[in-house]
Amino acid sequence: MTRIRIESLTRTFGTVRAVNDISLDIGHGELFTLLGPSGCGKTTLLRMIAGFVDVESGSISFDDRRIDALPAHRRDTGMVFQNYAIFPNHTVAENVAYGLKARKVLAAEIASRVDKALERVRLAGYGPRSPHQLSGGQLQRVAIARALVIEPAVLLFDEPLSNLDAQLRTEMRIEIRQLQRALGLTAIYVTHDQEEALAISDRIAVLRHGKIEQVDAPERIYRMPQTAFVAEFLGSTNMVPGIAGAFDGRNTPVAAAGTAFSVRGEVASPGAPVLLSVRPEALRLGDGSDGPLVQARLALREFLGPMQRLHATLPDGTRIRIAALGGQMIDVLPGAPLTLAYDPAQITAYPAP
Amino acid sequence: MKRFAAIVTLAALVLLAVFLLYPLALVLDASIRIDGTGGLTLGNYAAIVKSRYYLGSIGNSLLCAALATAFTCAIGIPLAFCLARIDIPGRALLLTLASLPLVLPSFVGAYALVLLFGHAGVVTSALRGIGIPIGSIYGLPGIVIVFTLTLYPYVVMPVLAGFQAVDASIEEAGRNLGGSRPYVIRTVLLPIVIPAILAGGLLVFIEALENFGVPAVLAEDRPFLAVDIFKLFAGESDANPAAAGALSVLLIACTALALLAQRHYLGKRRFSTNARSAPTKLPLTPGLRLVAAIVSWGIVIASLLPFAAVLMVSVLHFNGPVLTWELGLGNYATLLSGSYRPLLNTLTLASIAAVATMLIGAPIGYVVARHRSRLSGLLDFVGMMPFAVSGTILAIGLIIAFNSGALILTGGWLILVIAYVVRKLPFAIRSASAIVHQLDPSLEEASINLGVSPSKTFATLTVPLMASGLVGGLVLVWITAASELSATIVLYASGWVTTTVVMYHAIEGTGAGLAAAAAAVLILVTAIPLLLINRRISKHETTAI
Repeated sequence: MTRIRIESLTRTFGTVRAVNDISLDIGHGELFTLLGPSGCGKTTLLRMIAGFVDVESGSISFDDRRIDALPAHRRDTGMVFQNYAIFPNHTVAENVAYGLKARKVLAAEIASRVDKALERVRLAGYGPRSPHQLSGGQLQRVAIARALVIEPAVLLFDEPLSNLDAQLRTEMRIEIRQLQRALGLTAIYVTHDQEEALAISDRIAVLRHGKIEQVDAPERIYRMPQTAFVAEFLGSTNMVPGIAGAFDGRNTPVAAAGTAFSVRGEVASPGAPVLLSVRPEALRLGDGSDGPLVQARLALREFLGPMQRLHATLPDGTRIRIAALGGQMIDVLPGAPLTLAYDPAQITAYPAP
Repeated sequence: MKRFAAIVTLAALVLLAVFLLYPLALVLDASIRIDGTGGLTLGNYAAIVKSRYYLGSIGNSLLCAALATAFTCAIGIPLAFCLARIDIPGRALLLTLASLPLVLPSFVGAYALVLLFGHAGVVTSALRGIGIPIGSIYGLPGIVIVFTLTLYPYVVMPVLAGFQAVDASIEEAGRNLGGSRPYVIRTVLLPIVIPAILAGGLLVFIEALENFGVPAVLAEDRPFLAVDIFKLFAGESDANPAAAGALSVLLIACTALALLAQRHYLGKRRFSTNARSAPTKLPLTPGLRLVAAIVSWGIVIASLLPFAAVLMVSVLHFNGPVLTWELGLGNYATLLSGSYRPLLNTLTLASIAAVATMLIGAPIGYVVARHRSRLSGLLDFVGMMPFAVSGTILAIGLIIAFNSGALILTGGWLILVIAYVVRKLPFAIRSASAIVHQLDPSLEEASINLGVSPSKTFATLTVPLMASGLVGGLVLVWITAASELSATIVLYASGWVTTTVVMYHAIEGTGAGLAAAAAAVLILVTAIPLLLINRRISKHETTAI
């Protein structure tokens, strides 16, 4: 159980601020995800915690111990690498035992702990095998066992699932989450996959250009993105530029895309340009329900099984996406008009950049 | 595609059967015949086992090869590590210079040692002048020194590639799990590069065992296998082809055993890690970095100094065997006054051999890399065999095979070219298949899919893609053929004397100045093309030699 405290951490490569004055508090047993597009600094931040990238300024503490000056092998973190980094010259068991040997644990204890760790990742009996006899998913489990077995202060995951195929990826993330919960370890998880981040995390930090855009629980970060970047990065939202109208005490009308949207609250002073985020699932096919409506025209319907995605054009030709359940009967042909209903509370507005 | 592969495979196997397997079979045959009558016997082997001299010869050769392997590893592994992981000033230049000794003729290095430290050597005389006697470099010490200084790149190149192929994350994982840097190097990095060390060490061992030129120059009276085989076959006084055959078979057995042992060991260990991100340079204190730089540069400079000394001595005037400090091009005048033929022969033969080797080797390398079948596996094996056969033995086999009968080749130029081609074929095959391995097969599939026939795809797409690599291979074959001595000394005929032969006879005789000039010419002939194409030679080709 470790609390991680990061204070105004900075690292520059040449002229690029890869990590720019980041401060974070990560609680006991929390699975904390660093999410962002490539080049946002998430991996650099993780590697600074592991000790592979030097800290330029700022500090990193585990509980009340500062660790940012310690060499990497003294930091007591267990890292799972993107390409697994399984030692090819050691067997599976030797790989898992590696950190225990480095810690001079007694041989008898090593054997039992290795067995237990392999059992935990459902690889019991694989100990004597050579790494090249294992599949990608199995290698991934060895990497996890190797990181868990040393009972590190902090678990670090560097895009651990990006080399696996889609189905294995969803299975493994459940296993990782359950193991982390069961062992009560604090973990930092780096990914660029927003669905993975939403599924696995206690909290998520969205990074961009080396800075934190927002830190929140998955639901909040999805429903209440604080910046246009976060809204766009999490889920495929519709971004529609518009001009704010006069606040009516409850909603603000925004003229956008040749029509008007109602947005809850006073979002901007009248006449100010804004950017609206309209989530595809916030739009419903108008079924006579009350609330504001917009008119659109269906361009294309994609049936995806559990859900279907409608591509429509707003009056000025702006394209938007609408998500509907797969079971819903939609008897509209491409080219036909659509009436869309929405809840003003589900639309967020940002000052236009 | 299948047909193309089959044709190449069959043609190559026929070629190797005629010019490699048949001659070798004849050498084996000679070793179990009674000289003169032709009856079967094992007496030749019995004679060797009973002879103190020949047992000494085998022992010397093995000991020398083992010591050379140990010493090249001792300097090659640290040098490779420094080149891979330490920010050494002038690293790129150092890397180029470190590969030079591989192609510089080793017997020229041996001759340089004689020039400097021999009985009448420059340094020996100078030291004797001020009253410091130095020990003799003839025999084992000198031979081991020359092998170490000329063969260490065989260890450096694969081990360097090995260190660089270890992904950065492997080392980081070790450190993350609590291993200190030295601990991780010991438990992970070194074990991973052990196959590369073995591969390099094996090359050194075989090369040292087979080498004819270095012991021929430095052995004086000590018996050495490669030299004895030559003397027994071609010697004027005590020729004994049957004994030469028996010794040859023993030499081949030694190299084959070493190869098999390595294969057996490596078969169980395949540590391919494909590096996405190369490991970073080690953060060293300026002091340690300086030490690493001095050691690395020191090794490389020490290995090149003898060659530089030869170049310098070649423009000094010799008074008989005694060196004076007068500058002049007299040695070169002597070398060329007889005739331009030897130099011309060297250039011509090397050019023909290089082109022929690549023309034959490239398709074989392609087929071996792309079309695995039982037959191409056989071709891969047979194609690598020349590597275990010393030049002298191959030459002896070629003479026995083509001295009479349907195909008479002795006395001409073709037999020299054949010997060069067969000897350099493994290198051509290796470098071609290494290039092919790097080409995505889907490129060819796309071409065939778009309607171009397989053989035309090979000619118009694959060959151009391989071209820059093949040029590098061509030049390296050219260089090594130009400085070939062990087969040439057996096969040359009066009209086809090469520069290496001139130099060999000059060392044997009294033409010290002539030998120096010939040696200098050989150095220039080998070093200049290499430096010219240096940029085009990628690492794997130098590793594949």
